[in-house]
Amino acid sequence: MQRRDRQLGLLYAAPLTLFLVLSFLAPILLVAGFSTMPAKVFDLAHMPDFSAYGEFLRQGYWKSVAWSLGMALVATLILFVICWPLAYGMAKVFKRFTLVLTIGVVMTLFVSENIRLFGWVLTLMKGGLIEGYMRHWFGTGFDGLLYNVPSIVFGLVYVYLPFMLFPLAQGIAMVPDDARQAAYDLGATRWQILREIELPLAAPGILVGSLLCFVLSAGAIAESKLLGGQAVIVIADEVETAFTYGQNWPLGAALAMVLIAIVGGLAIWGIGRADLDRMIGRKG
Amino acid sequence: MKPSAFTRAALLVYGIAILAFLYLPLVSVGFASVSKGRYLSFPIRRYATGWYGEAMASDTVRDLLFVSLKVAGIVTVLSVVIGFFGALAFARYNWRFRKTYQKLILLPIFFPQTVLGLALLMWFNAIGVIPSWKTAIIAHMVWIAPIATLIISIRAYSFDPALEEAARDMGAGTWTTLREVTIPLLMPGIVSAGLFAFLLSWGNFPLSLFTTGADSTLPEWLYAKMVSGYSPLVPTVGILTVAASATLLAVGLTVPWVLKLVKRKTAA
Amino acid sequence: MSDTTPILRINALTKTFNEFTALHAIDLKVHDGEFLAIVGPSGSGKTTLIRLLVGMDEPSDGSIWLRDQRIDEMPANKRPTCMVFQSLALFPHMTVGQNIEFPLKLRKVAPEDRKARALELLDLLRLPQDYYSKRIDQCSGGERQRVALARALAFDPEILFFDEPLSALDYRLRKALEKELKDLHARTGKTFIYITHSLEEAMVMSDRIAIMRAGRFEQIAPAEEIYARPVSRFVAEFMGEVNLFPIRAGQAEGVTLSPAAASAFGGATGTLMVRPESLQFLEGEEHAELTFAGRIEAEYMLGSRVQYTVTLEGGQTLIAEVLRENAMPGGPGTPVRLGCAAAACHLIAEA
Repeated sequence: MQRRDRQLGLLYAAPLTLFLVLSFLAPILLVAGFSTMPAKVFDLAHMPDFSAYGEFLRQGYWKSVAWSLGMALVATLILFVICWPLAYGMAKVFKRFTLVLTIGVVMTLFVSENIRLFGWVLTLMKGGLIEGYMRHWFGTGFDGLLYNVPSIVFGLVYVYLPFMLFPLAQGIAMVPDDARQAAYDLGATRWQILREIELPLAAPGILVGSLLCFVLSAGAIAESKLLGGQAVIVIADEVETAFTYGQNWPLGAALAMVLIAIVGGLAIWGIGRADLDRMIGRKG
Repeated sequence: MKPSAFTRAALLVYGIAILAFLYLPLVSVGFASVSKGRYLSFPIRRYATGWYGEAMASDTVRDLLFVSLKVAGIVTVLSVVIGFFGALAFARYNWRFRKTYQKLILLPIFFPQTVLGLALLMWFNAIGVIPSWKTAIIAHMVWIAPIATLIISIRAYSFDPALEEAARDMGAGTWTTLREVTIPLLMPGIVSAGLFAFLLSWGNFPLSLFTTGADSTLPEWLYAKMVSGYSPLVPTVGILTVAASATLLAVGLTVPWVLKLVKRKTAA
Repeated sequence: MSDTTPILRINALTKTFNEFTALHAIDLKVHDGEFLAIVGPSGSGKTTLIRLLVGMDEPSDGSIWLRDQRIDEMPANKRPTCMVFQSLALFPHMTVGQNIEFPLKLRKVAPEDRKARALELLDLLRLPQDYYSKRIDQCSGGERQRVALARALAFDPEILFFDEPLSALDYRLRKALEKELKDLHARTGKTFIYITHSLEEAMVMSDRIAIMRAGRFEQIAPAEEIYARPVSRFVAEFMGEVNLFPIRAGQAEGVTLSPAAASAFGGATGTLMVRPESLQFLEGEEHAELTFAGRIEAEYMLGSRVQYTVTLEGGQTLIAEVLRENAMPGGPGTPVRLGCAAAACHLIAEA
């Protein structure tokens, strides 16, 4: 049986692996190659000169990277705080309501994120749902809540909430009930149980959830375009501009490589630490 | 140590509040879609359903719908087939590079989709493929096939390997074992993976943005209209796509349940 | 012992879950330093009882007193008692040492004092000192058992509760640990309250046994008394295989009583309990105070003893166990007569 397992495993993994090598790894290598080309060329048949990376430093593109990473970090922290109690409820307290929440939250994932963000524009803008009704009922309006950095972070928190919630709930479900009870019996307070038992034992879920939210937020573009106006330009936006309006593929590729290096490095580090068999299969 | 009634109630209220938070923007879109004015401003003074009629009659909307359906349909079929075998390799069999393979599959999910779309655009250009709705299928699958694999894997983990061994012991070959034992047992996972694949492709925007070429999907068109200025058709078409997803999800959730009822009746 | 204040006193303790009553107003007193075992089949309420005692659940009615302090409304983390869980509940992300030190850390004991105490406890439980820095998943089942005990002792509880901690272990290890636990009880002088479904386990370790049935105590007595003088058929059958004969007006069907035995039972009505090991094969026309006649149905080798299933002339089944050297040659089908002394039997008042 063992030999058969090995052969079938390799055979069955082949289609997906091949597909990802051809349409995921290969394009990334291509981007890496382009990033070393001189400015404004459209093929790889040139001497690499790495000038695009110099551009990255000189033109202040690093500011966009810093904004993207900073907002991603803040959004991830906020998401962790918001999602922990709810994930706790889903994993340990609710019974039927967990299913309702799961279906309710998953359903929002199926609605294109730009429709949902557009909905927030309609809700938060001057003359939108909130300001409009406030003016109607109380007679005093305000300037609308959009087009600033907090509204971008708000958008990130909104869009990536499911990506924090579900891994956290999975992580908390991995904390054995009797470990919590034993700590309680040994004299631990709620706060001590949280710090000494629950957080360390739910660490895999916390890691995966935080990583997903951080990485996806760092590469996000629609939030800043729809909710943020021109408040700040995020790195993904710079990449897009370099490719489209700028027609400078090597620059776009270099900017993309910086993002890919940060995000990919984090993802590989995080995924490398998580025991996937335990997380997905709920074994052990 | 059990949570008190107060904690329970507080968490319940919190959960409902989060759900409300998630759905509030859709409520705004819904209101906007039935506003009569060409320029939207709350509170809405005159309601009208005229924009729905206009959207239904529009050729543009029909074309967009067709492209989106085509892409989502093909993505679903391919992702589920690849994902089914991918999941068996992920969860069921012990083979040498399994851990590496598991990690490779997760990478695309952890990847910024806009950047992925751009990388694919360069790739298609380099290998001489002109972007169209067909290349969008590839782009969607880079993200959706791994998700389908993970969903089927959850089911495959709880699958007792002894069942396959028993079938083989009684003389079934690899294909017969797959058809008679493995596929039926993984069916619930396959159905949910299919549902996820379709709906995620249907709603996807960042991957489509750079990879559809001259074609356009519904979310892309909506985005273009949103950034270029308000059109009263945006909320209307938006609500229509949401309604389509919700309907499909409702059908996907109730059909297995109805089938089970019918089966029980005929068996009785 | 009985005139000092009990360390634990339970008054009319009741627990209901919706319609179901798990505990019916039970009373119990436990003396300082005692080893009490609470025994019952699953569903008898013993787990509910221990959850109330440690504070994982709240009683519906009644009270629990620790010496002269009422504790039933005190949360588990404030009670000076501690439990060894069925699953042991060792923290998988901590080392053996960190597990043992956990209760001390919560009390803000200085790190060096904590470590000293942990090493002492490793010694007490006969674990090598280098286990201090081992991970929990590197320990065997028996070692984990000892770590869990050390952690509970580090807490220094007034009463140490055990929720069937040995049930997952294999037979030989369980037997060894039962004796160790009894020895540990003697050395620490603490009050142990031990829950189990195995009366055999309870007999090995405890000073007193409380038998539970359907949310009530059926009998609370020392092991010897439970064994020899059970108050009900339930207790009698709980110990294992036993022969029970209904007795009415001094006459029991299937049993021939000698005149002396008949007068000993004095026209009583109830159930006569005859333990399989009290029976002996009779030779020739020899009579005992109680005599049984029948045919061997089956024979089982138990090691030092042989067990027989005998079908009596009246159709009843009798189980007998004799030492190997007293075994009956012949095997199934052989007609036999068995006897035992009236003093070895016990009359249960219940019919």
